[in-house]
Amino acid sequence: MYDDVVKELKELEELVLKCMKCGTCHADCPLYNQDGKEQSVARGKIALIQSVYEGRLEDAGKILKHIDYCVLCGRCKQSCPSGVKTDEIFLKAKSVLRKIEKMKGWQKFVLSIAMEKPELLAKMAPLMHMGLKFGSKKIKDDVFKPIIPIAGGRNVVSVKSKTFADTYGGLNKAKGEEKMTVIFYPGCAANMIYTSWGEAIVETLNYFGVSVYVPEVNHCCGIPAATMGELDLFKKMVNKNIDYFDSLDAKYIVTCCPTCQYGLNEMGPKQTGRSPEQEMMDVVVFLEEVLHADIKLETGEKTTIHFPCHYDRSKDSLLESFVKDNLGTDYTKLKNQSCCGFGGTFSLKHYGKSSDISTSKAEEISTKGFQRVYTPCPGCAMQLTDALAKEGSEADVSHPVQLFYESVVKKS
Amino acid sequence: MSAAINGKFKEIVGSDNFWDEPADLMCYSYDSAFEKPVPPDMVVKPSDYDQVQKVIQLCRDADIPLITRGAGTNLSGGTVPVSGGCVMLTTGLNKILEVNTEDLYAVTQSGVVTAKFAEHISDHGLLYPPDPGSMKMSTMGGNVAENAGGLRALKYGVTSDYLMGVKFFDMDGNLVIGGGRTVKLVTGYNLPGLMVSSEGMLGVMVELIMKIVPVPEAKKSMLVSFGDVIKASETVSKIIQAKILPATLELMDNFTIKTVEEATNIGLPVDADALLLIEVDGHPEAVEDEYRKVIDICESLGGSVKVAENEQERDALWEARRKSLSSLARLRPTLILEDATVPRSRIPEMMQAVQNIRKKYDLTIGTFGHAGDGNLHPTILTDKRDEQEMARVEKAIDEIFETALKLDGTISGEHGIGSAKAKYLESELGKGSLIFMDKLKKGLDPKGLLNPHKMGL
Repeated sequence: MYDDVVKELKELEELVLKCMKCGTCHADCPLYNQDGKEQSVARGKIALIQSVYEGRLEDAGKILKHIDYCVLCGRCKQSCPSGVKTDEIFLKAKSVLRKIEKMKGWQKFVLSIAMEKPELLAKMAPLMHMGLKFGSKKIKDDVFKPIIPIAGGRNVVSVKSKTFADTYGGLNKAKGEEKMTVIFYPGCAANMIYTSWGEAIVETLNYFGVSVYVPEVNHCCGIPAATMGELDLFKKMVNKNIDYFDSLDAKYIVTCCPTCQYGLNEMGPKQTGRSPEQEMMDVVVFLEEVLHADIKLETGEKTTIHFPCHYDRSKDSLLESFVKDNLGTDYTKLKNQSCCGFGGTFSLKHYGKSSDISTSKAEEISTKGFQRVYTPCPGCAMQLTDALAKEGSEADVSHPVQLFYESVVKKS
Repeated sequence: MSAAINGKFKEIVGSDNFWDEPADLMCYSYDSAFEKPVPPDMVVKPSDYDQVQKVIQLCRDADIPLITRGAGTNLSGGTVPVSGGCVMLTTGLNKILEVNTEDLYAVTQSGVVTAKFAEHISDHGLLYPPDPGSMKMSTMGGNVAENAGGLRALKYGVTSDYLMGVKFFDMDGNLVIGGGRTVKLVTGYNLPGLMVSSEGMLGVMVELIMKIVPVPEAKKSMLVSFGDVIKASETVSKIIQAKILPATLELMDNFTIKTVEEATNIGLPVDADALLLIEVDGHPEAVEDEYRKVIDICESLGGSVKVAENEQERDALWEARRKSLSSLARLRPTLILEDATVPRSRIPEMMQAVQNIRKKYDLTIGTFGHAGDGNLHPTILTDKRDEQEMARVEKAIDEIFETALKLDGTISGEHGIGSAKAKYLESELGKGSLIFMDKLKKGLDPKGLLNPHKMGL
């Protein structure tokens, strides 16, 4: 079996050889910037894969922990001068190396529930919600500090007693004349935690004459499985979601989770050879570029934006003008443009390291006295909420559509 | 290595900053050069000077080779631990200690990343000019040890022109202080000068005092296309003969232009045989005067000039140059970047020679680089798995260096000697110099433990 593993890693050679070891990935790697260790950065991980299939490193089982120590923010790929597809290399390598080092039984169990039994997970939500209410101290609106340190001292946003899909699953008809029909894919975070984001988005789309399909049961995009090295499970989830998308007569798939979009629309098609029929895009991009929606607020708030790593980065300036002009805010770009450090399963496995990454960003937000930080990603929102609470900052973390919904749509 | 020795290392730096597992070690077996990877026996990451000193003393007492490593972006194999030993990371020494805006210097630890240092200086309204291609990741200590250059070298010089003082440990663990905070200083040997280009072979640098300068008030950038690369090269000499020193004067050959355009669609003139990217800076009136003269010179040699009207257009122009290496890198699996350098008046001859060599050995070579200071980067694109082609690559490199020396140039303008160019050193310096360097090295490091075998010593 060991030989098979080496052989399969060797299949990555064409991708790996593109790395000329220039080290440009150092500059944007949130982990390397913390620890200055070559093991943490893409160049080091690629060298490890190479040294296994070139026969210089004998115990392949030992490299998984290094490859796994990665936020998968993809910034190395974005800045790589040679165009090395680091995400593809690491996901494939992890799934190959999983053959040597099996996932721990309980991890596999949790993962399979989360992926394959979404109904069960949804039923557990009220329990988690109750647990959190009783076992924690409320520090501000919907942000809690658990009294028993179950989450490593993390300040959490509550798991809601009712999932978003429970409320909005099915077709939500447009208000007034229907312009088109779209699918809104909430992703697990908006489905269970940021249900208010889902509500704001569906209601706002309805308000602008768009009918919206919401999955009755939210199937995970599969990215957590991919990051754990379970590529087959990832492909299964991608296929399941694409089956669902394909079954509906809709023009676009709108989402508020850049990582889900990356999973279903970029990495998914690469791994399964199948793309959704509809174009998938972030809700802000949809409102601006497709609907040309008339959104005008004058909040005057002092705001900034955290740009999620998996966001379509060519739309960064669109997002900026949306926050600045449409929401009428006093916007300033953050000097610190780093990843927030969340990385989904990464923050579960390495909360301390994950949290360290967001600290300097939270410091800047706090020092500069921002009232609100906009971010179009629920993962980043969770991470920043925690970091800001620790920093003692009063800044709220919001989705760009939320305020418009609260002050215009809801009152209409 | 024995458990007892490893225990001592751990005691010094803490077990979180010590590694000896094969997978960890493999991550320090290479740098950015195309050299055979060799893993060290252990890696340590000290977080203060005291730890640095103790690591050095332990290595000396236990006869362990010691290789200092910043970001490992070296292009001549300078940080590859060719005979094993201990790799000491400087990334834990990452504080900027002082910026003095009255006396125009800054004190920094050696592990600070160059771009972060430059940005910090710029936040104080001043400029640290050296801008090596790797500045986003390289460290200040590494820049001094390799005497890194950059795009602004023609007018502003290289790292050595900014080093005022240094603190380092010798191989006995003595703290040595050289230079200081004054513009004039002649106390003792020029120890900062000695540490420049020393490639980690004479001591371990922990702290540097760097000169900083006022930011030029105005600048003007232009892109000039030529139908003939030799004419472009002649233009470089003519500009300097006219007593104009542009801040940057960069050249790209046709192959590089086409490759960059294919990769980026910036809108470069793909028919041009060569491009010059020129930026003049300084007092607004001087800039105005100089840039007009530069345009006249370019046009008189057949160049067609496009001036950047604003910051955005300027960025677009520089984008092409910045993308040169990366665009070339995407073409073939293996890239070998050379830095043979000649006196700038000999650039046309050097360009011609590289073209001939490319044809003779049937290779893909893109050439771009700092034409203004005579430092070209012939970039060979190949595949390390193709043995026959690699043999031709080696011969081509030999010939490029031979030509550079024939033209009174050097085998390395800014990448250093390390392991990659050790065999060519004598042909440039002669035996006497090697003997002198060897004596110096043996006097300071009699056991030959500091970055052994580099420069052939």
